[in-house]
Amino acid sequence: MKVTLISIPVRDQEKALSFYTEKLGFLKKKDLPLGGGNRWLTLVSAEWQDGPELLLEPAPVHFEPCRVFQDALMEAGYPYTQFDVQNVDAEYERLTKLDVEFSMKPTEMGTVKVAVFNDTCGNNIQLVEEL
Amino acid sequence: MTFYEKELNRIRSIVYSNEGQINSVIGIRNYIENNYDADLNLDVLSHIQFISKYHLLRMFKKYYGQTPRQYLIDIRIEKSKEHLVNEMSVTETCFAVGFESLGSFSTLFKTKTGKSPTEFQKEQLSRS
Repeated sequence: MKVTLISIPVRDQEKALSFYTEKLGFLKKKDLPLGGGNRWLTLVSAEWQDGPELLLEPAPVHFEPCRVFQDALMEAGYPYTQFDVQNVDAEYERLTKLDVEFSMKPTEMGTVKVAVFNDTCGNNIQLVEEL
Repeated sequence: MTFYEKELNRIRSIVYSNEGQINSVIGIRNYIENNYDADLNLDVLSHIQFISKYHLLRMFKKYYGQTPRQYLIDIRIEKSKEHLVNEMSVTETCFAVGFESLGSFSTLFKTKTGKSPTEFQKEQLSRS
C-alpha cells in the first residue's frame, strides 16, 4: 500500500484551485469532471511533483457532517492539515503580502516552528518548519 | 486566543518545557543536516553537545520521533535524489551523500523510494 492522496474538503473547487495554485504555489495535476459540476481535482507540490496529490474535495457542499466538522475546526482554530516549509517566517511574509490571513503568527513549539492561515475555502492550514 | 492555541500552549508546557534539551537536539539535528556526507555516528554527535550517546539517542527520539541514524538516512536519500536529478552518476551520488557501499545505498534507496537509483534517474531525466 502507498499513501498517494491527501484530501482537503473545500466549499468551492474553483476558488480553492485559484488559492492553492496562485497563492500557495501548488501545481494542478488531475482535473476530471464527475458530473453535477463536481471535479476530481488534484494538485502536487511544485518542489515535490512525485509526492502525494492533494485532492480538493467538495465534500462540505454535499455531505452535511463534513460541513459541520469543518466549521467546528475552523471555529476552534484547528488546522485541517499541515504543509512543510523550509522557512515559516519567510512564507508568513510572502503570504501576508498576498493578503492571506493568519490566525496564528509564526510560533516556536519545541523543535518546530508553526503558523496557521485561512485557506478561504473553509479550512485552517498549518505551516511547519523543523528547527 | 483560539482553542487550538490554548492546546498548543498546554502541550508546550508538558512536552517542550526543557529548553536546554531542546537546544541540544536542535543543535544535533542542524549538525546532521550540514554534515550528512561525513562519517557520522553517535560518538561523533555526542561529542558535539557534550552529552552521553545514550542520552542523546533518547532525547533525539523523544523530540524528533526517530533515531539520529534514521534521520541521517532520510536526509542522505533526499540529497541523493537531487544529485541524480542533476545527472550525477549513481556511484558518485552514493559517495557524495556519505554512503560507503554502493550496495547498501542502492538497497536503501529502493526501500525508501520504491525504485533503484538508476530507475529513479532514468524516470526523472526522461521527464525533463
